[in-house]
Amino acid sequence: MTATAAPARLTVGIVKFASCDGCQLSLLDLEDELLDVVRKFDIVEFPEASTSRSPGPYDVLLVEGAISTEDQRREITELRSKAKTLVTIGACASYGGIQALRNWMDHDAVRAAVYAHPEYIDSLATATPVREHVKVDAELHGCPINQDQLRELLASVALGRRPQIREEAVCLDCKRRGNVCVLVASGMPCLGPVTQSGCGALCPTFGRGCYGCFGPKELANARSLADSFLVGREPADVGRLFAGFTAYAEPFRSIVTEMGGIRMDPTGPASARPARGGNA
Amino acid sequence: MVTGTNAAEALALDNATRAAALADGAAQPKSGPWFLLRANLQVLIDELRADGRKVIGPRVEDGAIVYSEVTTVTDLPEGWGDVQDAGQYRLSRRRDRKLFSYNMGPASWKRFTFPPVVPLNIGRREGREVTFEPAPLDPPRLAFLGVRGCELAALGIQDRVFLGGPYTDEDYRARRAAAFVVAVNCTTAAPTCFCTSMGTGPEIRGGHDLVLTELDEGFVVRAGSAAGADLLARLPVKAADAGQIFRAAGAIGKVAATIGDPLPTAGLHDRLLAQFDSPQWAEIAERCLMCANCSMVCPTCFCSSVTQRSDLDGHVSTSERVWDFCFTSSFARVAGGNFRNRPRDRYRQWLTHKFATWIDQFGTFGCVGCGRCVAWCPVGIDVRKELMSIAPPLAACPETADCKPVAASPTEYATARIRSIRTETGDVSTLVLGDVDSVFVSGRPGQFAMIALPAYPPMPISISRYLPDGIELTIRAAGPATARVIELGAGAELGLRGPLGTGWPLEQAVGRDVVIVTGGIGLAPLRPLIDAITAQRPRFGTVRLFYGARTPSDMLYRTELERWARNSNIEVALSVDRGDERWRGPVGLVTQLFDQATWDGSRAVGFVCGPERMMQATAESLEERGLSDDRIFVTLERHMECGIGLCGHCQMGKLFVCKDGPVFSMAQLGQVFGREGI
Repeated sequence: MTATAAPARLTVGIVKFASCDGCQLSLLDLEDELLDVVRKFDIVEFPEASTSRSPGPYDVLLVEGAISTEDQRREITELRSKAKTLVTIGACASYGGIQALRNWMDHDAVRAAVYAHPEYIDSLATATPVREHVKVDAELHGCPINQDQLRELLASVALGRRPQIREEAVCLDCKRRGNVCVLVASGMPCLGPVTQSGCGALCPTFGRGCYGCFGPKELANARSLADSFLVGREPADVGRLFAGFTAYAEPFRSIVTEMGGIRMDPTGPASARPARGGNA
Repeated sequence: MVTGTNAAEALALDNATRAAALADGAAQPKSGPWFLLRANLQVLIDELRADGRKVIGPRVEDGAIVYSEVTTVTDLPEGWGDVQDAGQYRLSRRRDRKLFSYNMGPASWKRFTFPPVVPLNIGRREGREVTFEPAPLDPPRLAFLGVRGCELAALGIQDRVFLGGPYTDEDYRARRAAAFVVAVNCTTAAPTCFCTSMGTGPEIRGGHDLVLTELDEGFVVRAGSAAGADLLARLPVKAADAGQIFRAAGAIGKVAATIGDPLPTAGLHDRLLAQFDSPQWAEIAERCLMCANCSMVCPTCFCSSVTQRSDLDGHVSTSERVWDFCFTSSFARVAGGNFRNRPRDRYRQWLTHKFATWIDQFGTFGCVGCGRCVAWCPVGIDVRKELMSIAPPLAACPETADCKPVAASPTEYATARIRSIRTETGDVSTLVLGDVDSVFVSGRPGQFAMIALPAYPPMPISISRYLPDGIELTIRAAGPATARVIELGAGAELGLRGPLGTGWPLEQAVGRDVVIVTGGIGLAPLRPLIDAITAQRPRFGTVRLFYGARTPSDMLYRTELERWARNSNIEVALSVDRGDERWRGPVGLVTQLFDQATWDGSRAVGFVCGPERMMQATAESLEERGLSDDRIFVTLERHMECGIGLCGHCQMGKLFVCKDGPVFSMAQLGQVFGREGI
């Protein structure tokens, strides 16, 4: 790509499946740079923000949400054929999201627990990442995604280079910020050491352990961290620590399974129950 | 500089106190140390601030003691301590009101001399033109308050890294030059501390402007630089009295004793580099999270990456240098792959750098023994344990100075009981001694013991094997005393002193080939060496043993010779002066046997025991094979009585064979070796 010529704007589509729309909002939240973005990109499909629609094809397709229904499964295959570059945005599209907790549970029981009329709900037994259905060119992680990373991804597409997104544990951002480690200094369980950075160590900065929103980092040794959590904790409690927005991502998935899976217990703690008010 | 009414009042009060103190003491003493009352510590902070410096010191924040700005003494962690262990850190309250009685927290001064993020430049492109505008150097004027011995050593190491070579880091230089260092001697230690092993503490040894030692009523103060002396002249101090000096020294000494020597570092460089293929790297990797917390809290780790942020047009990009570490996935990645893909590779890279290759690069360890990496590892990996396990010292007592004999005085013998006696050859027997003093457990191969029997002269005998609860002595009935000892039989007692002398420096053979040349009973002092080699066989290259005896029946340890060859991958070559009807091997001197073999000695270390003339001939042959004289070791026999260099019998030129030897390198012996009548 030559920099001096004024190239035609790249067409961009932004679509969603089973998700909360939060990641799409991250694009709209790029307030200071939004004008640059629309100058550089022709956003032709973005139902969250615009009534004008386009059936494609797209130079870049940003996909939010997990594949949770039969219709979605068909639709993603069709969209893939229209997209030159397909990028998943967020924990749902990249890892199945919080709704993937049902993958460990009885589908009918989950539907019955969540919806007053489960007979109207036509969902798949599992909520799965886009990657399990079509080829994905890049994934942005997080719940929600990080605006800077989205910006960097768009810049890299515009300039035809690799996105410069660091692959490292949350701990690196945490210590660069000068936080005191909540895990070592207070014994609070924290998934930071095995979780991909990108959030700027948001939770530990406010004295909370990391929930693993960005999913497992490269070569995440979840087993060793889980082993250390088992000291003084029940396996089910350790499993629950990994059973968040990226529970279905390996190796978190194996830990959740080994610690007894996820029980549906309407009287139990909220985190053991399926997500309320899901889109599927 | 002072903000707030209270602080201003405090300053006024302290100025008054200081004026009074100066008037009272007339003038400061010419030579230190001085004493600063605790009530006057604020004057120190104020003077630093009056110099336009921001004072950075210890504060309690978020459940730990970290370094951030302090403006008054009340910001300091009065009465706070901490409880630490591998993967554990908790603040704790102390009974006293000390300000600096805490141990290392997660923060280090690295944050101020080598910040996590530093702007590098802004690149711009307009049309075909590009420009790079460097970020200005603008280091803040800081004063570090409370720098410990290990931390000063860490600053010294980073000085070497960033400023010691032909290319230097100007950002670091500017930050370092702008910092005033007030050091504090440690009067407390955590179980994670090992400065004593790394030679960095607890006592401050230089690199400071001022150094304090805290007592209940105040601080013993010394200046370490002109700037420090200049500041000291502005403080209300008096000469420290003898009691204060004594108590301060005692407090530091107590810390050193508490820590002990948790990580023996003798030969660690070679020991570790010989373990590239150890299966333990994979074992550690099962626990290691590769989260890089160890390197982030490390005060010497210095690696970084450059990150860029560009606009969507690629016209402007801002570059920053950020902390990066050999544990991250991108660190050793190139297009198409990653040179260190496996967790074991990354941990090995880190550990071997800190404790071995750093020495080759910068002349020091990359570790100062602060223990942060131990405490702040989320899964509690303790480098000291890992190092002792991957690259253990070859003997539990690696420093000769620590291997004190069980009874130093020739008048004091412990008793040992003969558990059994084994006949080796016609006139050689091996005594197995039980109930020996536990000091023998840490004896080194090549050391000897003095044995005594009332009415007979004491006998120096090489230790021919270390057992878990005893030793073996292989003795030739060369005279009446040795003959009498062999006749004693099982159950009899002997007087015993030792282990004495130096041993074979097996450390120097780690990662190299080994050649052992000996004859007759000379194999006895080499047997513990061979035991040590077989116990850790993978740490050595090719091991060759050339052993000669007068006749086949004069050979010692026949079954063991076979076992070493069969089970331990040792090339054993035997020869005899005279064969018998069953001997099928070569006949002749061991030196001939050795000369005929074809091998390359350039990577070898030689260990030789035999008559002096034989050792001399062997050493010459070894040198021809490429061994330098500092890698050829011999053990000497001389008349020895005291065994500790006091009686004078065994003197050989400038050396006493008993305490400087009996094992020497040829380089050590120089011209006295082989010279008649010395």
